[in-house]
Amino acid sequence: MYQLERVVVTGVGLATPIGFDEGTVAEHLFAGRSAIGRLRCLDASLYKSQSSAEVDAASFASAIAARGTRPGDRTSDLALIAAGKALEQARLLPATPGSPGEETCVLVGTGSGPSHALQESWQTFFTQGGKSLRPTTVPRCMLNAVSSAVSIQYGLKGTNYVIVSACSSSTIALGIAFRMIRSGDARRVLVVGSESMFTPALYASWDNLGVMSRNAEPSRACRPFDAQRDGFVLGEGAGALLLEERGAALERGATLRAEVLGFGESSDGTHITRPSVDGQALCMRNALRSARLEPDAVDFVNAHGTATKANDATEAEAIRKVFGARTEALPVNSSKSYFGHLLGAAGIVETIASILCLEHGRLHANLNLEEPDPVCNLRLTGLDRLEYPPRVCLKNSFGFGGSNSTLILARPSSSPS
Amino acid sequence: MSRQEILEKLRSLMARTGPGKTDWAKVSEADAIAALGIDSLAMLDFLYDIQQEFGIELDPRDLVSVTTVGQMVSFIGERKGA
Repeated sequence: MYQLERVVVTGVGLATPIGFDEGTVAEHLFAGRSAIGRLRCLDASLYKSQSSAEVDAASFASAIAARGTRPGDRTSDLALIAAGKALEQARLLPATPGSPGEETCVLVGTGSGPSHALQESWQTFFTQGGKSLRPTTVPRCMLNAVSSAVSIQYGLKGTNYVIVSACSSSTIALGIAFRMIRSGDARRVLVVGSESMFTPALYASWDNLGVMSRNAEPSRACRPFDAQRDGFVLGEGAGALLLEERGAALERGATLRAEVLGFGESSDGTHITRPSVDGQALCMRNALRSARLEPDAVDFVNAHGTATKANDATEAEAIRKVFGARTEALPVNSSKSYFGHLLGAAGIVETIASILCLEHGRLHANLNLEEPDPVCNLRLTGLDRLEYPPRVCLKNSFGFGGSNSTLILARPSSSPS
Repeated sequence: MSRQEILEKLRSLMARTGPGKTDWAKVSEADAIAALGIDSLAMLDFLYDIQQEFGIELDPRDLVSVTTVGQMVSFIGERKGA
């Protein structure tokens, strides 16, 4: 008989604009402190959108130095830092031959992969010609450079590859990992989401698309579900989660941080950038079916909540469609006003924020929610506490290309089945 | 350019671009390049950096017999003198 395995989280790693350790991140989340400031790593005067959520340079440099390696591509380095933390917390290092760590698979979700290495190569090509390109341009710039770097650095010998689906990349990577373990095809999968698009060409591309906030006050720029919202704020960073088959995790005495109950996905099939209520609603329903839960079992929704006009209105309508009358009492928060929009890494970092909410028994607030948009008619969380500790979270990530993904997470249960 | 100057430049180059776990200040002419943690792929990048640093052109095939840091110093010295 085909048996579905249970999937738990046994390791968490972060390298984000609001911190590189969970304690600092939790402190910021529950105190309502954002990392968003004025764009520093690029010449802000060249762009219409001048806010950003950048990783702290000193924390980044010391994390690289602690690893004993030299800075390479920024997306890969952020991935390596977060991955190392998750593996350490899961007590899977060193991944010596025959150890539980050795069989770990690596799935990386990223929208643009090693974008800094690519930028450097294109710049060399166009200014100095093809002969001046580094001989190692191909392995530096291939999209799966990020997942192979993680696999090589830590000696992980399960599979390694990259999942690319814009802003849903790392949530889909978590979902694929969940399915791999649930079906019995893998026991441990390290999922990493990593992104840094602060290169002049990529930042200008986003700037010209007109989806980033042009609010002159960085601290007020990212306003999910607020009537005055005018776009997202670009961020960079990485998150990593070690997913593990529950029995194997318990057998080796690992600490269970959360349980993944279900995963759903869908494709809008309508437009490359315009989101679809039907597509998003189908995705959430698929996740509930995968988790074998009814909508009323969900205690809160961690929304994709980008703070663009289109996303938040569409997502709110999709949530109402799925949850019906339950929507009135269903708390909803968005983590993007803290971390900025980490694009391909957003899903996993926000999943970690949601795990922290489950563990602390409280939800973080929606920052800058001063005048809730009547179009986004949801129970949006503020700094007030919930009347009950949340147990089940539904987490959305939606990407350009109409790629929708939803995870359902819960506080780990001690029940045997 | 003297041998010592070339060696110093190589040390500083390795410190910037070579594998992070080696103490490049202690590298001597007698050291085997393969023992410094520079594998065949990293060697391609290392040669690229040498070309940029010393302003010379190298073909990796010319370096088949170069196995120690000292031999590399000699090779660069010859190219610089040529």
